[in-house]
Order: sequence, then C-alpha cells, then structure tokens
Amino acid sequence: MSASPAATIGRELAALFGAEHVREDSQSLAACAIEGLLPAAVVSPGSPEEIAALLRLASERAWTVVPAGGGTQQSVGGVPERVEVVVRTDRLRAVHHYDPGDLTLGVDAGLTLAAVDRMLAGHGQILPLDVARPEAATIGGVLATAAHGPMRHAYGGVRDFCIGITFVTGDGAIAHGGGRVVKNVAGYDLMKLLIGSHGSLGVITGANFRVFTRPAATCTFECSFASVEEAKRFRDRVLSSPLTPRCLELLSPYAGDYLQAPPPAEPSPEETEMLPVDRGSEGWRILVRAAGSEAVLARYRRELKGGTTRELAGEEETRLWSAVSEFSETVMARHRNAMMVALSVPVASVASTLEAAERAALDNNFLLASVGRVGVGSMLLAFIPLLVDPPSAMQYVAAVSAFRGSLPRDASAIVARCPREAKLHFSVWGSSPTDLECMRAVKRALDPASILNRGRFMV
Amino acid sequence: MQFSSLVKRLRSIAGRDAVLDRPEDLMLYEYDAGLARSTPRAVVFPRGTAQVVEIVKLAREAHVPIVPRGAGTGLSGGAIARTGGIILGFARMNRILEVDLDNQRAVVEPGVVNLELTNAVARHGLYFAPDPSSQKACTIGGNVAENSGGPHTLAYGVTVNHVTGLEVVLADGRVVEFGGKAPEAAGYDLTGFFVGSEGTLGIATKITVKLSRLPEAVATLLAIFNTIEDAANTVVAITAAGITPAALEMLDGWTLRTVEEATHAGYPMDSGAVLLIEIEGLREEVEEQAEATRAVCLAERAREVRRARDERERQLLWVGRKNAFGAIGRISPSYYVQDGVIPRTRIPATLEFIAAVGRKYGFTIGNIFHAGDGNLHPLILFDPRDAAQTRRAHDASREILEYCVSIGGSITGEHGVGMEKDELMPLVFSPSDLDVMARLRHAFNPESVLNPGKVLPLRGCRETDASRHPGAGLGLEASA
Repeated sequence: MSASPAATIGRELAALFGAEHVREDSQSLAACAIEGLLPAAVVSPGSPEEIAALLRLASERAWTVVPAGGGTQQSVGGVPERVEVVVRTDRLRAVHHYDPGDLTLGVDAGLTLAAVDRMLAGHGQILPLDVARPEAATIGGVLATAAHGPMRHAYGGVRDFCIGITFVTGDGAIAHGGGRVVKNVAGYDLMKLLIGSHGSLGVITGANFRVFTRPAATCTFECSFASVEEAKRFRDRVLSSPLTPRCLELLSPYAGDYLQAPPPAEPSPEETEMLPVDRGSEGWRILVRAAGSEAVLARYRRELKGGTTRELAGEEETRLWSAVSEFSETVMARHRNAMMVALSVPVASVASTLEAAERAALDNNFLLASVGRVGVGSMLLAFIPLLVDPPSAMQYVAAVSAFRGSLPRDASAIVARCPREAKLHFSVWGSSPTDLECMRAVKRALDPASILNRGRFMV
Repeated sequence: MQFSSLVKRLRSIAGRDAVLDRPEDLMLYEYDAGLARSTPRAVVFPRGTAQVVEIVKLAREAHVPIVPRGAGTGLSGGAIARTGGIILGFARMNRILEVDLDNQRAVVEPGVVNLELTNAVARHGLYFAPDPSSQKACTIGGNVAENSGGPHTLAYGVTVNHVTGLEVVLADGRVVEFGGKAPEAAGYDLTGFFVGSEGTLGIATKITVKLSRLPEAVATLLAIFNTIEDAANTVVAITAAGITPAALEMLDGWTLRTVEEATHAGYPMDSGAVLLIEIEGLREEVEEQAEATRAVCLAERAREVRRARDERERQLLWVGRKNAFGAIGRISPSYYVQDGVIPRTRIPATLEFIAAVGRKYGFTIGNIFHAGDGNLHPLILFDPRDAAQTRRAHDASREILEYCVSIGGSITGEHGVGMEKDELMPLVFSPSDLDVMARLRHAFNPESVLNPGKVLPLRGCRETDASRHPGAGLGLEASA
C-alpha cells in the first residue's frame, strides 16, 4: 500500500476532526518537522476516541504517525523514512482527579508539567519530575521518553510513581492499565511498557500518579574535587552514610559554564559558538541537596563538613537546580552541533565510564561536559565539537563507537541529540541488554501496521 | 504422549528424585493458601536454567500446561495448575548467585526465600526492601511473578520497584535477558512489564534486584483506639500532616483480640482497633516524625500511643501483625482473605461497608491491613465443608471488591489475580483493555502453555481473538 498524497491526508483528517483542528500551513508543519521532514498535516484530536479513529484510519492508509506533546524531545530517535501525520495532545488538558489526602493525581497527557506543578504547589505537594522546559513538556511526553531530572535520585524515575495509564494502540484500540491507587497488581503493567517506548507502541492520552509531600525546607551543599575518582569516593561515602539526599548530582569541570545563565531562546547559528574556558582548575563538583527540618539540615552540615565549598538556599538554590535540569537545552542552544548522550550505567562504573567518554571525546575533537544522577548511574554527556566549522559525520561516529565500546555490560548510551547527517551513520539507540526479538513481538502486538514513529525507535 | 512417558522424560531431564507424580505427593501442590484447589499431574524441581529450558520444550511439545511455583504462598491460585499439567517447583534453584556491593545489586535464582536474601546482606548494612508478610517462606521468584508488596511498600514500593534485570525462559524454550544492573536499558522496559505477569509470559530463572541501605533509625509505635472509626480517621490525618511512615498497619478489635490470644504480642484486649506505625530514616527525622505522629494519633482520640523502646519490643509489636493469619486459623475452620484496594481517604466508609456485608451474610469479618496504602485484607470466616457457606463467602467477597472498584480502587493490591479473580477483571478493565492485555500475552505465550487460565478472564474466547491478531506470536519467522 502506498501512502496517499499530502493534500488528501489533510482533507480526510479535516472531515473527521473539523478543519479547525487540522493544520497544514507551512509554519505549523515546520514546527512539527522531524529531522527536517515535514508532515503532511498536524492534527489535534479532542479525545482518546478521536485518536483511536485517527489511528485506525492511519493504519488502513499506511500513514506514518508521530505523536507529539510539547515537542521538547522530538530530536530523540532515528531519522524517519517519512512522516505523514503528527498527532498532538494539546487539546487533552483535563485534570481527572486530585485528592490531596490520597496523594494521587489523574491528568490528561497534554497537560504541561508546569501546570501540574502549580496545581500541586497549592497543597504542598509535588510530582518529582524536574525535567527541562516544564512550561512546554507534557505529561505524555515525559512518560513516552521516561524523562527525569535530578530528583530521580530520591524519588526514582517516572516508572516508579506512574500508577495508571490510558493510551491508544497503533491500530486504534483504547487501553488502560493500572488504576488510581498506589498499590495495585490487577492485570499486566502497561505503564511499564509505555513508559520510555518513545511513541512506538501507542499514543498516551492520560495517566495517574502518586504524588509526594513537598519538604519543609531544602538546602544544597556544593563539594569540589580535583578528579572524578575523588568525586566518586565522596559519592560512595554519602551513599553508604545514613544520609538520604533529595538530589546527588555530579558536575564535570566544563559543565559549570552551562549552569550560569538561562539558555538563549534561539540558537545562534552564525555567531562563534563560545566554548567553555578551561575550568580544569575548578575540578569536579557534587551537589548534595538535603530536605527536612533544621535539625536534619544541621546533620548534613556536620556529616559533609570539610568537603563543602558552598551552601545554597532559597532563590539561589532553586535557580541552580533549574539550570541543572536545563543543562541539555543550554548546551544545544549554544552549540547547534553538539551531541547529547543519555547514559545509564551500573553505579560503580560511573567514574570509569566518564573517563572513557572523556578519552573518546578528546580523541575526536570534542570537549566533554556532563551532569547527572551519580548515585543512580544516569548521566547526560554533552560532546561539544571543538571546531567552529561543522564537524564531519565520521567524527561523531568515531566518538560514539569508541565510547560505546568501553561501556560495561548492561549499560546503555542513547544519542539523544546530534546532527542529522551523523545520525544516518549509526544507531542512536545503541545496544540493549533487553532481548530485541521480544521487543519486536511487543511492537507487532500493539502497532501491527508499524505506523507509529516508524524508523525512529530501536525496533 | 502418555503422561507416564512424559514423567519418565522429566526424570531424565531433572533426575529421578526431582519428579513427583504419586497422588499423595501431588496433594501438597494443589493449593496456595487460598481457596482454589486443583491437582497437578506432576511436579518437577529443576536445578538450573538448562533444565527449565528442557522441561518447557517438553511441555510445549506434549501440549501440557506448565505452572511455575515458588513457596505457594500467593493466596490467589496463581501457582496452582488450574487445568492440570506440570508444576515447576523452584525449591532447588535457591542460590544467591552474586552480591554486588559496589552496585547495590544481587543476582538470585527464583527459589531464594525473600528473608534469606535480607539475612545474607544484612551484615553489609543492606536489605531487600519488599517484605510480604510471608517473607519467611515466600520466594523472590514468586515475588516477581506476583509483584508482591508488604507492610513497607508504603514507603519503598512493591517488588517491581526493586527488580532491574531478569533472565527469562520463554514459552518456546528460548533464554532471553531483560535489563541488568544499570538503572534502565535502551528499549522497552520488559523487566517492569514482566514483573507481576504471574507466570503467563515466561519463567524467570535469574533475577537482578536492588538492595537498599538499612535506615539509621526506626521508631515503631502502637496507637490504641476505642473505636475503629477513630483509627481509620487517624490514617487519613497522618498523611494529611505530611508524614510518610515506612509502614502503617491496622488491626480491628476482633482481629487484635484473636491475634493477642495466640501470640501474646501485648495488644490490649479491650480496644476497638490499633495502628502499627513504623517510621524510618535519619535519626533526627525519625524523632521529629515519631513525635508528630504521636501528636496526630492523640488528636484523633487515640487512647494511648506506645513506642517500642528496643528491638525486642519492636519485634514483639510486629509478631502480632506478621503471624495474624496463622492466629486466625486457630479459631476458624477456614477464612477467605480478600485483597481489595481503596483510596486511603475512603477507609472509614469502606470499613462500615464491610461490617454491613458481614451482617448481611451472617459472617464474622476481621480486618487487618496495610492502611497506609489502602490495601485491605478483610478476613471472612466460614466453614468450607458447607457448600452454601462457601458460596456466600464468595458472594460477600465479590460485594466488597465491587465496592472497592466503585470508589476508585482495585481488586488486588498484592496477592495477584491468579485463578481466583480472573472473572472479576471486567470490573476494573474494559473489553478493549483486556483485549490489549491478551494480545501481549499471546505475543509471549501463543499456545497458552505457560500458566493457562490465569490473570485474564476465560470467557469470551479472548485467547482465540488474540491469535487472530496480525501481531500475534513471538515466532522468529514473523520478524524475518
């Protein structure tokens, strides 16, 4: 079956959903382009039922469909063969239930994290998803990409507190898994399957969460080290102490440059991309964020005595953590040719892996800046090209393969962002310890016509 | 194939003494501490993954169901052979293969007993956080199959939050890996999806778990109330005050008297209900929260709040909770323990509803449960020798579960669906939801060799529907 011509797609969708919810103007299409590929239409259905109708039609017509929330992570994934329809969740913004006494929340996928935060703040509660661009990032997008921020250290990832999900399969079946209660083992755990599936199994339309009490007070201790090895020893000391910090974040020497000012709104293609000045002397840093009463904070002060170079609280502390969350955005805004790698590694291998990444970067004319959840083993590595001229695709390929070759068993290194030309030469997903055949079987079961995000995910 | 020759082949795979097929031996495997019973045709105890592979291939070839089983403490019939067949017992696959202190991980065989893992790592200041009440007997493999919880899930989550990798034998005998020691892997989270699938997607033969650090301080409080309503309201008040206890358990007056008579844990015989509250963490934190909790309890009309002064007193307070089911077994021929879940703010109303159901059907119903996360365990006392009573017990329990679902809850919080609640699944899930689940099961278990008749309702020929689905089957040929 061959795909219909673009004009027909828009017409068919307008007949189904009303012309006002289908956009075909060049500006809307450009805003939703995937790796430069323009969709034929952008559609905003008003309900899961409408999404189901859309996906049934798309399955029949063999249109490739790309789900989109706030669009903050559309740079992740392989280069698609083609894109016919982008389905947006921007009309799905209802709050279904929020009872502060139950500490549970049920919302539509299109709601932004900032909107959720504001609602919960009124009751002294939080959803611990401190990811980049909260004003744009949506609940559905965070689930699909399993995005997380520094609070991952204490609260776990979104897999750990999403307790229910509703989505539409590739062939248009509405399915929900889990429920509204914290403890529930009825049926298969569809939440786990959809979280981190990058829109390849279904379009997420809503989810339920467990929420948490906002701590009375927090403060952040900044500790400096001459080497990553020294930082690692400090990390181990914190991890084996009774302390239970809210965040435990490692910053590489060059990372500091990207935690200063908010990122420019638009990348500046022509201007010289300012490389960080040599901050080798500043060394590595670990940020320990403590939460609790004055007595608890005092305990941290005692335990971390000697190692702390700075203590931050209030506005200054909030600004720093939001800058950590925005690290990747800031790097990309300053260096359009940078490559971001999302690394997941057993916690004991963090230091050796970072050293290997540093070597792979230097050998291929990149500067490495990294931040990450050092107590969990989840790091974000920015490979920043040293040359102002666009670097060659092979430079990325060489850096990625050198780095991946040094990873321990079970580790994953996903190239979350890099220039399109380079993406064509390697798998952005890399290898996985998880069986590929089983992943393919799951994909076939939920998206039999393989219309969802075709070519972008690893199966 | 004749079943006797199948048994012979099982013996040739696992060894002569590793297969049971005499009726008196099989009787021990016909139930799992729940109500449902069904006798298997044989029980086999493999010694390793290779033998599991052989057994699965044999069962598939002979079209005989295969049911994995840990210690048989599941209570929902998940580990019994509903349609006959072979039980795969993991008693001999009980080695802790690796304790990786640097990564705070352990790799274990499925037959390792939950508490034994904690005991093995305690000297390093670590433990395995999921602690079902049966943790002295239940196995990690069973915990994985059922996604078991326990008193401490309120703060630490259920089993799935503590499993990062699996080695799995699939229905076609292929050995695959999901995840590992890293926090997450690229691709689908098949580890998370597999946990809680009740043996219907594959058989876990190696399990990588997170180990947690033992807290610096623990405070255990027993709050004593004159009425069950006051205790129920206190549960809501504690979380409203921003306190997250590590455990928050409730026993009603009838239950605590029964338990006290059997265990002498020190529960007051004349009280209406008690809350057993545990707070863990940094010393300073625990002190503050214990005091705050005591204040909330007293404000909510607790008659008295006791605090364990040492480990001995603490264990004594827990003895009552962890041995309660056994204690009740002393006074009733049988009881039906339910596992409904409700939003915690609805505990007071739900306890009233349960009492009304007890009056309507003429049963004593005890309540002992994980109040903090709304996971109820009403115990319906009845005599299973009386068919009419058994039917009424089922009806009463269905009414309670229907109520739980109607207020936003679920039919199971930790015991699983098994074969006891598969017909109740439509209370919670739409036909479309169930169809999607059936498709996924079919992708892994197309011939229903693995634990058939569990989790999803049998009615409506869903398994047939799924096999017609274009995405059906795990077969390599389809993806070639």
